[in-house]
Amino acid sequence: MATTPQTMHHTTTGIDNRKLLMWIFLANECLFFGSLIATYLIFKGEPMPGPLADDVLNIPVTSASTFVLLMSSLAMVLAVYGAHHARPGMMKVWLLATILLGLTFLGFQVYEFRHFAHEYHLGLSTNQFGAAFYVMTGFHGTHVGVGVIYLASLLFASMRRNGLGRETGFHVETAGLYWHFVDIVWIVIFTVVYLIPA
Amino acid sequence: MSMETGQHAEGVGHVEHPPTTIRQYVMIGVVLTVITALELAASYMDLGALLIPLLLIMSAIKFAIVVALFMHLRFDSPLLARLFVFGLFLAIFLMVAVLLIFGNDDSRRAGEAGEAAASAVASVGALI
Repeated sequence: MATTPQTMHHTTTGIDNRKLLMWIFLANECLFFGSLIATYLIFKGEPMPGPLADDVLNIPVTSASTFVLLMSSLAMVLAVYGAHHARPGMMKVWLLATILLGLTFLGFQVYEFRHFAHEYHLGLSTNQFGAAFYVMTGFHGTHVGVGVIYLASLLFASMRRNGLGRETGFHVETAGLYWHFVDIVWIVIFTVVYLIPA
Repeated sequence: MSMETGQHAEGVGHVEHPPTTIRQYVMIGVVLTVITALELAASYMDLGALLIPLLLIMSAIKFAIVVALFMHLRFDSPLLARLFVFGLFLAIFLMVAVLLIFGNDDSRRAGEAGEAAASAVASVGALI
């Protein structure tokens, strides 16, 4: 089983600085999403003019989108496996699968936002629930969108003559870290927003 | 920096690639799906005060599985784990602080009372 050669520079930590940077970025993102989720929780269950969470949230549909995002994480880890084990075909197939699943999740989000806006007239400024919900899930959706662009650029780059080069495993693994983080944020949001009652 | 004092790139706590097999990854995916299904089922059941702790525990388990096994933190350098966990605990601390300060009517009234007292003290000070 071939392994991807590492061309890493010397570091005092023994860790590639780019990988360290990604983990520091993700630690920072914990704070970012933590503040958004905390803001949502402040208003959860508070009396306010409707529509409220119980009026609009569709648990079965969101459960389906949660499953899609979970499967995209599985697809991503299989792409990383392919990249690390010098199996470019496997890597590309599962990268494409991750992208398609990510786009499907975004489709669910777009459907949800449009449904809330058109059927329930819930907007950013309707009430505190609307503001907190749209900002929190909107930022998460934006992160998913950025992730899709990130993965698509990797997939296109892998189709060049030299592919992603000698650091293929590293590049795909780093992208995988970002994608899995987006998934774990949704794990928290799904539980806090959709499953836990007010 | 010498090789003795510096740490070589491949030296400390670094794994070329994790030992997890494809079959194991798929099993982990199945486990995550099952836990999600259990969370969903629990949300429809009348569990009373047990519901919220149960949901939080299940989502924490999913969180830990993805971070440890999909993000390979279990197989990687402890420094990365410390960094991420530090950020996570900072985020939890921030959430708790925000919820304690702004989270209920009593705290908001307490905050307003505090502001009123501070402005009263300032007014008296201005008079003096």
